[in-house]
Amino acid sequence: MNGARGIEAALPGSRRQHDDQATRPAAPPEPRRGAAPARRWSRLVAAVAATAALVAAIFLTGCSAIPRNTVPGCGEAQRLAIIAQSVPSASYVPCIAPAGLPPGWRATAFDPASGGTNFLLQSDRNPGRPVRVSLTAGCAFARATPEPARAPGVRTYLWYDSISPRFTGTLYDVFPGGCVTYSFDFVQGPDHIALMEQWEAAVGLYPRQQLRLDLRNKLGVELDP
Amino acid sequence: MGTPIAPGGRAGGPVLPPVLATSPLGRRRRPSGEPPPLPRHIEHSTRWYLLLLALTAVIWAGLSIRPVLALVTRGDLAVLHAVATLRSTPLTKVMLDVDAVRSAWTVRVAFYGTIAVLVAFRRFQHLAVYLVVFLLTALLDSAVAVEIGRMRPAGIQILGHWNGYAQPSQPVATLAVVLAGLLYTLVPAGRWRNRGKLAAAAILGAVCAARLYLAVDHPTDLLTAVIVGWSLPVVAYRLAVPGEVSPVSYSRERKAHLEVGGRRGPAIVDALDRQLGLDVIAVEPFGLAASAGSTPLRLRVRTKTGDGSGDDGDGDGGCGAALFGKLYALSHLRSDRWNKLARTVVYGRLEDEKPFSTVRRLVEYEDHMLRLMRDAGLPTPQPHGFVEITPEREYVVVMEFFDGSAEILKAGVDDRVIDDALKTVRTMWDAGVAHRDIKPSNILVRDGRVLLIDVAFATVRPTPWRQAVDLANMMLTLALASTPEHVYERALRVFAAEDVAEAFAATRSITIPTQLRSLVRADHRGLIGRFRQLAPSRPPIPIQLWDLRRIELTSVWTVLLALAVAVVVAYVRVAGLL
Repeated sequence: MNGARGIEAALPGSRRQHDDQATRPAAPPEPRRGAAPARRWSRLVAAVAATAALVAAIFLTGCSAIPRNTVPGCGEAQRLAIIAQSVPSASYVPCIAPAGLPPGWRATAFDPASGGTNFLLQSDRNPGRPVRVSLTAGCAFARATPEPARAPGVRTYLWYDSISPRFTGTLYDVFPGGCVTYSFDFVQGPDHIALMEQWEAAVGLYPRQQLRLDLRNKLGVELDP
Repeated sequence: MGTPIAPGGRAGGPVLPPVLATSPLGRRRRPSGEPPPLPRHIEHSTRWYLLLLALTAVIWAGLSIRPVLALVTRGDLAVLHAVATLRSTPLTKVMLDVDAVRSAWTVRVAFYGTIAVLVAFRRFQHLAVYLVVFLLTALLDSAVAVEIGRMRPAGIQILGHWNGYAQPSQPVATLAVVLAGLLYTLVPAGRWRNRGKLAAAAILGAVCAARLYLAVDHPTDLLTAVIVGWSLPVVAYRLAVPGEVSPVSYSRERKAHLEVGGRRGPAIVDALDRQLGLDVIAVEPFGLAASAGSTPLRLRVRTKTGDGSGDDGDGDGGCGAALFGKLYALSHLRSDRWNKLARTVVYGRLEDEKPFSTVRRLVEYEDHMLRLMRDAGLPTPQPHGFVEITPEREYVVVMEFFDGSAEILKAGVDDRVIDDALKTVRTMWDAGVAHRDIKPSNILVRDGRVLLIDVAFATVRPTPWRQAVDLANMMLTLALASTPEHVYERALRVFAAEDVAEAFAATRSITIPTQLRSLVRADHRGLIGRFRQLAPSRPPIPIQLWDLRRIELTSVWTVLLALAVAVVVAYVRVAGLL
C-alpha cells in the first residue's frame, strides 16, 4: 500500500502459532550480559572512533609538534620542498627567515601550485595592502634598477611605481631558473621605510642545493628527478 | 472480521482483553540485558567505514613522525616509479584528460546541481546534511593538509597540474564527497544507488589511476582522500538521514511514513505480544494519505474466545478484530519540532507550542489524551496503551479501530449527526479540552453516531479562543454537507448565540486545518461570512500575539539563516566554487 509493505505475522515456528500462555514455549534464556559478540564489536568500534576523534582533535587544536605557520620557514625541509617543486628549475626558494616575522606581521594565503608559489605578508600598520610574494620561473624586470644582492648568486632589482603619496613598487630577486617578485604598496610616511626593511628581512632565500641535501638526509628522498 | 470480543465501549466498538491477561504469572517482562524488539541497527559497512576512518587518522598521525613519513614516502615512491615505467606520450594525454574529470567545473556542476534538485524537491534535511558534510570534509582536509604539509612526489617527473600540499589529495576527496552526496541525497536506495556506487567507484578509480600515472599524488594521499571523501559522508548520511526514516523518493506519497516490512514488522508484532498481550496476525499501513505526523497502521488481532483456544470459531485459526496503531519515530518527533517552531515564528503564540523532548514523551502524551478523553465520555478510540519498539526511538500507540465507520462528509449528515457532533464539542468544552484539529478526516460516523479521532494535538485547559475555534471548525464541517442556517439553528440548542459569535470572531485562516480550509474555499458559499451574519456581532478576537519567545525565535533564526548563507558563500568563494 503506497509503497509501504504490510506484514502477515505468520512467523512459522514462533510463539505466534500458540494462543495462550499454557501452550507458549518457555521464555528465551537470559542472554549472558556483556558477553554478546555484537556488544564487544560495538565497544571496539566506539573505542576506535574515540581514538580517531582524539587524534583528529589533537590535529585540529594544534597540540601536535608541527608548526602552524602556513608559509614554511627556511628550516622546514618538507614544507619548503613543495615550493621548490612548484618551480623545478628555481635555484632558490623563498621562505620565512629563521628570525621569523617581526611583530605585527603575518604570512597568509600560501598557495603553492605547479607553475609557481604565491603568498602574502600582512602588516597591521598597513592594513588591506599586503606585500605579494611570488615565485615563478621568470619575470620581466628590464625597467628595474639594480640593488645590492640579497643572497649569493642572486641579482636584486627594484622598480618604483610611485613614491608619493603612496610608496609602491616591485622588488625582484632573480636567480638561475627562477625569480621572486615582491609587490609592495605603503602609505608614504614615517613608517614605510621601516616596513620595507622588516619584510625584506623576514623573507629569506633558501638554496635548492641545500634543500636537496636536507631532504636526502631527513627523508631519504631525492628532490628532483 | 467483525467478531466482537466483548460488549461495551462508549463508541460501540469491540473491547479487546489482552490475550495473556488471564495468566497467573502475568506478561513476561523484558529482563535487563535482553535486546528490545528492534535494536538500533548499524550496518556492517558503516562499521567498516568507521574503521577505515580510524585507519586514516592513524596514517595522518604517523605521517607527522619523521621515520614513519620517510618509510611511507619510500614505499609510495617505489609504487610511483613502477607506474612510471608505463609512461608513453599517448597514454599521458589520456591520463591528463581523465584527471580533468575532477576539475573545479565538474565539482561546481555536481555541487550546485545537487543543491538545486534538493531545493526543488524540498528535501531540506538532506540539503542541510549535504552542506554540513561538504563543508566539514573540506575543512578537515584543508586543516590536515596544512598540518602535515606533505610535499608532492619527489625524484620523479610530475606530469599533471597540482595545487597545495599533497596529503590528502584534496581534488580526489572533493570529488568523492560530491559523488557520495549526489548518490545518498538524490538517488533512491536500491538498484539505482547500487549502480551509482559502481559508477562512482569507476570514476574515482580512473581519476586515482590517472593521478598515480601523472605522479601528482602519492598512493597514500589518494587512499586517505578516498576514505575520507567517501566514508565520512556515507556515515553522516546513514546516521543523520537514514533511509528508513528519510528515504530518497520521487513518488508523491508522504515521506514521513516508515516501512513496516523487513525487521520492523516482526518487531512490532513481537512488541505487541510481549508488552500488551495482543496476538497480532497482520500489520498493514492504513490511511497514509491522511497522516503526516505518524505512520498509521491497522493491526489485525486474533481474538480470544471463552474456551481459551484462541480460535474465534470461524475456522480461520482466529482471524479477529482490528486495532489501530500509530507508529512514532524520531523522524516524527523532529517533524513535530520543526512544525511547532515554524508555527511559533509564523503565527505567534497560538497556544502551547513547546515541542516534545523525546518520542517516548510524544506517545505518552497521546496515550494520556486518549484516556482522558475517554474518561470525559468523548467518542474517541478506546486506548490500549503503547509499546516500545526501539527505546527512545520508536513506539506504537495502540487504540480502537473504528471498523465500519466513514468520514463524515462521505457518511452523510442528518440532524442526528449534526446534534451528536455539536454535543461532542459541548462535552469537550465541559471537560476543559480542545481537540485542535477538527476537520472532516478526523470526524467519523458509524450508525449515525459521531466518532472523533486523532487526539494527538488535543490539549487540556486550552486558551478560550481555541475552544471556540473547535466549535467553529465543527460547524464549518457540518455546513459543508448541510447549510449554515440549519447548522446554526441546531447549534443554538447546545450553545448560546454568543458562543457561536465568539467561535467565528476567533476564526482565521490559520485556525482552520488545511483540509477543512481548502474545502471551505472550494464551497463558494462563503460559509464563514454567513455564520458571522447569523451570529450576534462581535469584534475579531486577536490570536496572533507577539511575545518575547516569538521575537527571540524570529531574531535567532533570521541571524542563523544569514550566518549560514554567509558561511556557505564565503566557503565556496575560498574553495573556488564560485
